Amino acid sequence: MSEHPSSMPDPQAPGPLHGIRVIECGHMVAAAYAGKLMADLGAEVIKVEELSGDFARQRGPYPGNTPHPEKSGLFLYLNTNKRGVTLNLETTKGRELFQRLVKDADVVVHNYHPTQIASLGLEYETLAQQNPKLVMTSISPFGQTGPHRDYTAHDLTMWTAGGIVFLGGLGGRPDLPPLKAAGQQAGFQAGVNAGIASLGALYARLGTGRGQHIDISVQECLVAIMENNYIAWPYDQTTPSRLGFRLIPQDVLPCRDGYIYVLAVEEHQWQNAVELMGNPEWANTELFQDFVARSVNWDALKALLEDWLRDKSVQEVYHGAQKRRVPFAPVSTMGDLLKSDHLNARGFFAEIGHPEAGTLRYPGAPFKFAASPWTLRSPAPCLGQHNEEVYCGQLGLAPEELQALQETKVI
Amino acid sequence: MMSEQLPLSGVRVADFTWVWAGPFCTLQLAHLGAEVIRIESESRLCVTRRIPPVADGEAGPNRCGYFNQYNQGKHSICLNLKKPEGLEVAKKLVAASDIVAENFAAGVMDRMGLGYETLKAIKPDIIMIALSGYGATGPESPYVSYGPAQVPMSGLASMTGFPDSPPMSVGFSYGDPNGGLHGAFAVLAALMHRARTGEGQYIDMSQWETSVALVGEGIMAQEMNGAAPQRMGNRDPHMAPHGLFRCEGEDRWVSIAVADDAEWQRLCALMEKPDLASDTRFVTLADRKDNEDVLEAAVTDWTATRSAEEVTRMLQAAGLAAFPAVTNKELAEDEHLRSRPFFAELEHPEVGVRQHAGIPWHFSDTPCQVRRPAPCFGRDTEDVLQRVLGYATDEVATLKDNGVLT
Repeated sequence: MSEHPSSMPDPQAPGPLHGIRVIECGHMVAAAYAGKLMADLGAEVIKVEELSGDFARQRGPYPGNTPHPEKSGLFLYLNTNKRGVTLNLETTKGRELFQRLVKDADVVVHNYHPTQIASLGLEYETLAQQNPKLVMTSISPFGQTGPHRDYTAHDLTMWTAGGIVFLGGLGGRPDLPPLKAAGQQAGFQAGVNAGIASLGALYARLGTGRGQHIDISVQECLVAIMENNYIAWPYDQTTPSRLGFRLIPQDVLPCRDGYIYVLAVEEHQWQNAVELMGNPEWANTELFQDFVARSVNWDALKALLEDWLRDKSVQEVYHGAQKRRVPFAPVSTMGDLLKSDHLNARGFFAEIGHPEAGTLRYPGAPFKFAASPWTLRSPAPCLGQHNEEVYCGQLGLAPEELQALQETKVI
Repeated sequence: MMSEQLPLSGVRVADFTWVWAGPFCTLQLAHLGAEVIRIESESRLCVTRRIPPVADGEAGPNRCGYFNQYNQGKHSICLNLKKPEGLEVAKKLVAASDIVAENFAAGVMDRMGLGYETLKAIKPDIIMIALSGYGATGPESPYVSYGPAQVPMSGLASMTGFPDSPPMSVGFSYGDPNGGLHGAFAVLAALMHRARTGEGQYIDMSQWETSVALVGEGIMAQEMNGAAPQRMGNRDPHMAPHGLFRCEGEDRWVSIAVADDAEWQRLCALMEKPDLASDTRFVTLADRKDNEDVLEAAVTDWTATRSAEEVTRMLQAAGLAAFPAVTNKELAEDEHLRSRPFFAELEHPEVGVRQHAGIPWHFSDTPCQVRRPAPCFGRDTEDVLQRVLGYATDEVATLKDNGVLT
């Protein structure tokens, strides 16, 4: 019996970031994911949106594919456990209110572009005058300095600039372009990096008593994760690409009812896979005698494996292989994940209702804390949902002041 | 003047991790200033000390780019955990540490006698993170997992690919660094919790779950509509053109992402193609999505006779998102990255100075910097045993003679 106590946290216990106050602003994924990581672990996150809302509200997916700013799946997912206010930072009054919000905050995390920082009043020096203990994390495509500082970028641009896109795509098809990963992966990577840096600076503050500014370059976040593909240049002047030779036989192959990912790195894994296949004669030929041979002759091997897999189910091959310590994996669809016995046994998906979008299951805790759990306490905020609570309740504005702010389009 | 103070100054990590996800987690902690001590052994030499790229084609455990990239700033001790004396040293190290990190399959640390409850008895406020493929509980928790499998398992592969291709990989073992980063975030949160309450804890991190976190919009689409987004190559439902376009030269491509109708007009002006600007097939996003094959061919006509750099300069000058699909060589030579500065270039005893990828966060008050190159195998064994654990010189010699430090 395993000793870990992870299955028994007290769901009422405060999260590990209890008491940390975060202001988050910007658009789309990077700042929002950093904010979500902190909010889901108990930080009090206020999401500050422009009057027209985070661009993620315009992206979907939407129920019935009908666009609605309160029903975007991307927005709903990225903004759990936050309170939301609107604020027009392009107005003097808006910037003033922002400074008041920041005065009591521990962290500001944002992904406004460096070219927008001055006009939105987001200079660290200005904000730190009010609050020298402030940690401010600025995420931008290429960072706050350097010749590409002002370059504009979307997720695809960053996957390209980070060198990762050059690795993706179909080998043997030089006619097709390199391929990006689905979704908003550059944003997620920048977000988790921003989360790490923000907490690092908060921990530093315990010793120094001072806040600081953190400049995060999305491009650098991506160059840092490309496995051995970047470092191949400084070490042996090789350039991996989608068209290059890959040593380890691994591929996505079709089964009767979906796809299986086949991988057998170690010799014993391959031998066990051969046993799973019923020891076919071809497996003992020179063509496939070791992993180099299997890599070189992958096309022939692939055809034989496809033959074997044709009438099998994904789950049958997956569990059969894993029972023999062969690291095959299912190529999951989103539906497979929601139905997964394993993920559900771990209680991975978390359900919560939202006033406009209804009750849905969300991806849950990416890590389980034994003493101070990840929790889903509230759904993503509707646009400006907490204006009164924050501006009146927290900053002490009178109701008529709030109304005036609304009328002058500050909030 | 650089501050001596680093965010995690004084924090010590007993690092039992290997391969990639775990070492990438502890790399973040080393970047933040923690003293990360890797426990290595000849009997289970890390695979990243054995695989290419190797410096100048000459193999050797201290010459591998993979290891030297992802273990910068750490210490390495040699310890045979199969010997009871080795286990004792490991426990002493845990007693002197704040964090224990491991990425074995679920249950392995328990079987070695280094499970959480044991370690907690030794160091009551220890923070322990287990970064396994499947997590410590659940029916598939004993299964074997490699980082590349996380892309298919998480469903990312099922949404990645060309419309007529099978699900595809993303070109590297994405699940590993992603798991490592989420693990580092979790450890930092646990340190904050400990600072507030005095309490340590166990963190069970599943690489599979941290990978599913990256496809949240897909899960939401499935929940809302019973169907996930289709594979669409490099296209985007809300932008067109949006893709990689062939440029002059061999296998040269530029990414272009046009966010709205006004940007499309700007691109047409740049390309000096008034006929495209007024073409009714391309006026609105909906028009461009309906005619995307023709649209992409028209843009390719223009990019194909230009270099990716020229296209990038022209578009960026007009505020349009574009960038060449750069290779590792171009990254290494990139003036922008050098100016930040991003690269870490420290003298390593066996491979000399190499330009490693550095730290993607630039702190204004406690600047993080790679302080030492990746350790040669077992470089710090004696130092750690004496300085950190208080062993006398002759005790270290005895352990060595008894084959404990191998």
